[in-house]
Amino acid sequence: MSAGVVGKAIARVDGRAKVTGAARYAADAEVRGVAHGVLVMSTVARGRIVALDTRAAQAAPGVVDVYTHLTMPRLTVPAPTTGYFKRFVPMQDENIQHAGQPVAIVVARTLEEAQQAAVLVIVRYESQTPQVVLADGLGDAYVPAPGSDGTNDYVRGDTGAGLAAAGVIVDATYTTPLQHHNPLEPSVTVAAWSGDRLTVHESTQGISNTQNALMQALGVPRENVRVITPFVGGGFGAKGPVWPHTLLTAAVARLAGTPVKLVLTRAHTYTSHGHRAETHQTLRIGAARDGRLTAIEHVVTQPVSRSDELVFNSSEPTRMLYACPHVRSTQRAVRLDLPTASFVRSPEAATSHALESTLDELSHALQLDPVELRLRNWSAVNQETGAPHGSNFLRECYERGAAEFGWARRDPRPGSMRDRDGLIGWGMATAAHTAGGRPGAGAAVTISVEGTALIRSGTQDLGTGTYTVMQQIGAQVLGLPLHAVRFDLGDTNFPPAFASAASATVPGVGSGVVRAATTARGRVVALAVADPRSPLYGVEPARISTADGYLHVTGQPSRRVSYRSVLRRHGQPIEVTSDPAPAALGYSTGAVFVEVHVDPAIGRIRVRRVVGVFDPGRVLNRQTARSQAIGGAIWAIGFTLMEHTLIDPHLGRVVTPNLSGYLVPVNADVPDIEVGFIDRPDPSSPALGARGFGETPMTGVTAAIGNAVHHAIGKRIRDLPITQDKVIAALS
Amino acid sequence: MRAFAYTPADSPEAAVRLAAEPQARYIAGGTDLLNLMKDGVQQHDRLIDINNLPLREITVSEDRVRLGALARMSDVAGHPGVRRRLPLLSQALLAGASPQVRNMASIGGNLLQRTRCWYFRDSTMPCNKREPGSGCSALEGLNRWHAVLGGSDRCIAVHPSDLAVALTALDATVTTLSAQGPRSIPVREFYLSPGDTPDRETVLRPGELITGLDVPATDRSAESRYLKVRDRATFEFAVVSVAAVVAVRHGVVRQASLAFGGVAPRPWRSPEAEQALIGRPLHAATVAAAGRALVRGAIPREHNGFKIPLVQRALADVLDGFGGRR
Amino acid sequence: MSEEETPTKVGSTRRTVLKAGATTTLAAGTPLPALLGEAPASAAAAATATSPVEVSLTVNGVARPCTVEPRVTLLDALRERLGLTGTKKGCDRGECGACTVLVDGRRIKSCLTLAVMQQGKEITTVEGLARGDRLHPVQAAFVREDGLQCGFCTPGQIMSAVALIGEGHTRSDDEIREWMSGNLCRCSCYPNIVAAVREAAKEMS
Repeated sequence: MSAGVVGKAIARVDGRAKVTGAARYAADAEVRGVAHGVLVMSTVARGRIVALDTRAAQAAPGVVDVYTHLTMPRLTVPAPTTGYFKRFVPMQDENIQHAGQPVAIVVARTLEEAQQAAVLVIVRYESQTPQVVLADGLGDAYVPAPGSDGTNDYVRGDTGAGLAAAGVIVDATYTTPLQHHNPLEPSVTVAAWSGDRLTVHESTQGISNTQNALMQALGVPRENVRVITPFVGGGFGAKGPVWPHTLLTAAVARLAGTPVKLVLTRAHTYTSHGHRAETHQTLRIGAARDGRLTAIEHVVTQPVSRSDELVFNSSEPTRMLYACPHVRSTQRAVRLDLPTASFVRSPEAATSHALESTLDELSHALQLDPVELRLRNWSAVNQETGAPHGSNFLRECYERGAAEFGWARRDPRPGSMRDRDGLIGWGMATAAHTAGGRPGAGAAVTISVEGTALIRSGTQDLGTGTYTVMQQIGAQVLGLPLHAVRFDLGDTNFPPAFASAASATVPGVGSGVVRAATTARGRVVALAVADPRSPLYGVEPARISTADGYLHVTGQPSRRVSYRSVLRRHGQPIEVTSDPAPAALGYSTGAVFVEVHVDPAIGRIRVRRVVGVFDPGRVLNRQTARSQAIGGAIWAIGFTLMEHTLIDPHLGRVVTPNLSGYLVPVNADVPDIEVGFIDRPDPSSPALGARGFGETPMTGVTAAIGNAVHHAIGKRIRDLPITQDKVIAALS
Repeated sequence: MRAFAYTPADSPEAAVRLAAEPQARYIAGGTDLLNLMKDGVQQHDRLIDINNLPLREITVSEDRVRLGALARMSDVAGHPGVRRRLPLLSQALLAGASPQVRNMASIGGNLLQRTRCWYFRDSTMPCNKREPGSGCSALEGLNRWHAVLGGSDRCIAVHPSDLAVALTALDATVTTLSAQGPRSIPVREFYLSPGDTPDRETVLRPGELITGLDVPATDRSAESRYLKVRDRATFEFAVVSVAAVVAVRHGVVRQASLAFGGVAPRPWRSPEAEQALIGRPLHAATVAAAGRALVRGAIPREHNGFKIPLVQRALADVLDGFGGRR
Repeated sequence: MSEEETPTKVGSTRRTVLKAGATTTLAAGTPLPALLGEAPASAAAAATATSPVEVSLTVNGVARPCTVEPRVTLLDALRERLGLTGTKKGCDRGECGACTVLVDGRRIKSCLTLAVMQQGKEITTVEGLARGDRLHPVQAAFVREDGLQCGFCTPGQIMSAVALIGEGHTRSDDEIREWMSGNLCRCSCYPNIVAAVREAAKEMS
């Protein structure tokens, strides 16, 4: 392997395409004769359609046709294994399960014509009063059967005994609101049929999932469905699963006999692709006087829809992170008339927030520094399984983060730190998220007769840097210069890959690339040592190194031959394809420190400083990894201080389905963010020592902000978002 | 958006004539109008483009500032004369919208922007303002952003303009042209309380065109401040806002003109709060009394009660800036 | 609506609507007038007003004639009629900034204006910044500083940044933050965007 390709801060290779407008996202695909589809959504949250009148819409200028449950073909509900989580396909019958459920699709020549005709569709409903308020349903909470994350009632030891042995017990109830992903690119499906073959340009985090779901829904062979996604305008989980609009668009394109482009309106995205479920969390933590945890009880209650039981807040940090003999973690569900929930960037952020905030409360009760409290409960092993982590440098993260932040200068007394304009608060927390552990990916490596490599995998780049780091990994393993390697993705004609989700791309796709590239390299080495004309003739293959486009005898860099000459003599390209192989579940952690400023006059909170030091194993690209960490921190600012989707309690409808009602952070909300990495390889990683990392850096920062607010004002605000009205109420 | 005809007007008089057609509407920046039309909240058969009318002037004279209705928010906010003579105006404008929208939105259109009430903005939900008699969804719904002052049992939507709040404190005058000829309307009389007719928001007659604004700039001794409280740092509508023009001499308030945003269906004036200040030293007790006077009669709903203490705190914070309290 | 059905009467308060019980009906996507008994907008009436008009937009220095209805926004004209898909639609309501373009050198949101209103103006989109293979300094700085991740907001960020530098709002990082706040970045590259704007401004001065 050549040094220096992996680990550098390399500018993303798709940067030029993105800054010039040349990058083509799904809605930018050039498809001849494409018509425009617009959804009509239910305005009631529970009930059924009793009458439909599409005549005015059908007669409107430019309309190709209007489709409803009366005219749609019957579609099979794809299995959950395809990532289609909803347990029904809309527009198959008259039933309405949530507000904003598609009830009709209008297809017209132009977007404007389709939009206007959609308004002309008349739907009459028989409706029932919806139930959408979690607090009203807590009495009906139940523990769902084990799901994809295993049991929903995890027990380790005996928490009763652990609490009895505690010197200090802290009880707290935290609530987090319903939130939406809001990628800047709304979801898009462009579906074009050619005979019985379907090509879909889709804004998705998982082209294979989309392919499989379409295959099942439409009853066509897999090889007849091609999904193309060279660029995705952000996903954050919104585009991880497959959602109804994709299936419906493909179905109506077939009926209409014309390619159809459907771009969800921003408003429609709020009910079309899941959300982070609201949570109500109770925590009881017991500790000995020296700070060692004796018991944790953590009950998370969250809504599920009427037709599924998907629970995405699994309290992994409670089960896995800290050394604690007695733990009970329970997920409870309440059925409400809401759309199916899903995962949103860092699904564990909600439970991590409650745990890390309650630990801060414990540190106050113990009068123990919160960093010290965490150090005393550091665990070398996954507490849930007892298995050692591949590597774990969390203690180093605490130490380095605290030093870089200047934590030692903190006066622990709440309200004690001030400046001219108000109160200063310093808070910290642990960042931790699982990474990977998913089915993985295959990759195809082609080494041309010119000695350059093309690597392909059916993965996606959401902006995380997949194009860039996979090119780096390929170059590193092959021993080629970066510019001699190209990585291509986003096409189901390439070897399949798991969705870009669950921090699984680096371990999953990265290991697929490593496997294929290692084999390809071995083939080139074998050619070189078997060729009597080669300077490497007869050398033991294990003694061959590759770097900068050359093969050489290890320790004798001058005894070398170029990839190009080996391949030229071979006279044909070398092609190797690796199959998907699961990568072990990783655990990437870090320590985050936050300074907030609170204006006590009007309760305004500003995050002034964030320092995060993380252990993601080996860092493949310092620049893209740093950007991911910054992004996570900013998501945490939104999560903690402003983001919440509001649903009218009577109508059951989202009243904030836009970016003026649903606030996400703007540039002026964000301070400089300092990111550090331990950067030591995880020996258990199949991806050159790197672990998945994308979801770690949002966790911790949420609680660190809340803990900093407490440090500033001396009051604990346990109901997110921490808006200034709550600060004022706390100060009054 | 329903299809419509498009006609550029080449003079104010021609525009007014074109506007006699029912369901015709002027378009200037279009930054609010097009959203309302996309959402089906408003439907118009014809848009009369008034951007070519000669109404863009910004004139700063000895005792007043004259703004053409089509001057853009950014042009007014950045105008050196405005910043010197009426910094409050500049501050309020820069507190609104985004740089791009400020480049587009006209001063006249800003005054006519419509409430952000989400029940109003969704054309399929009951709303008395949009569809009289259909009911107010906010009264018992999600009303965190709604009015605590000046609302009615038909409507508690708040007016979203920062500019209008500043102009109210500055006692500006709106000039208009209609088929009946030109007229002047004090901003303080321009907006209507919702009462039983929340669909009627201003005193403008159908087809009446705003031509400009006259803003007095006489009192050179007075200082002004604009404070906007919101849930993120910028690019958001006000939760509450305060515009204040205050003259303090020898520690005593000689003049106080206050206006409030985010708390009422119209830019809110409180003569009682002003009276509580005038003639008194700017001490904490005076400020507290003004705050109490301001919120007397306020009606909190389920989610917006916090605005009552918040607006008092915001007022106190603004007054703090004039010195004397601490 | 079918003949025997009475149009839904929406009560005088919302409560009556909501408490009316199991037969409450509301139309999907239909403005309340239709529910209150008015006929839905007549397609025929709409057709007369739709009449597309010939417009000539000057985009990146090139006159681009196209035929659009008056209701077509500048954004949709650029993307759907002229094939200039670099400019993005993130919200279509002026709330995200992805559609930012320059008109006569000033940054605007192209979703909030009509194409017919922009005739005779000089429109610049992200496709018009680079000179051949040479990136505009702002584009180069965004790549260098990693001021982008998914790239979807990037054209709007870059157009805003180009305008902002011209406006002179680069005297401090805080000023850049404030004046770049009309452009949302959900991947959340804000600190890198600030660095890119700062560095590009230095280079251009």
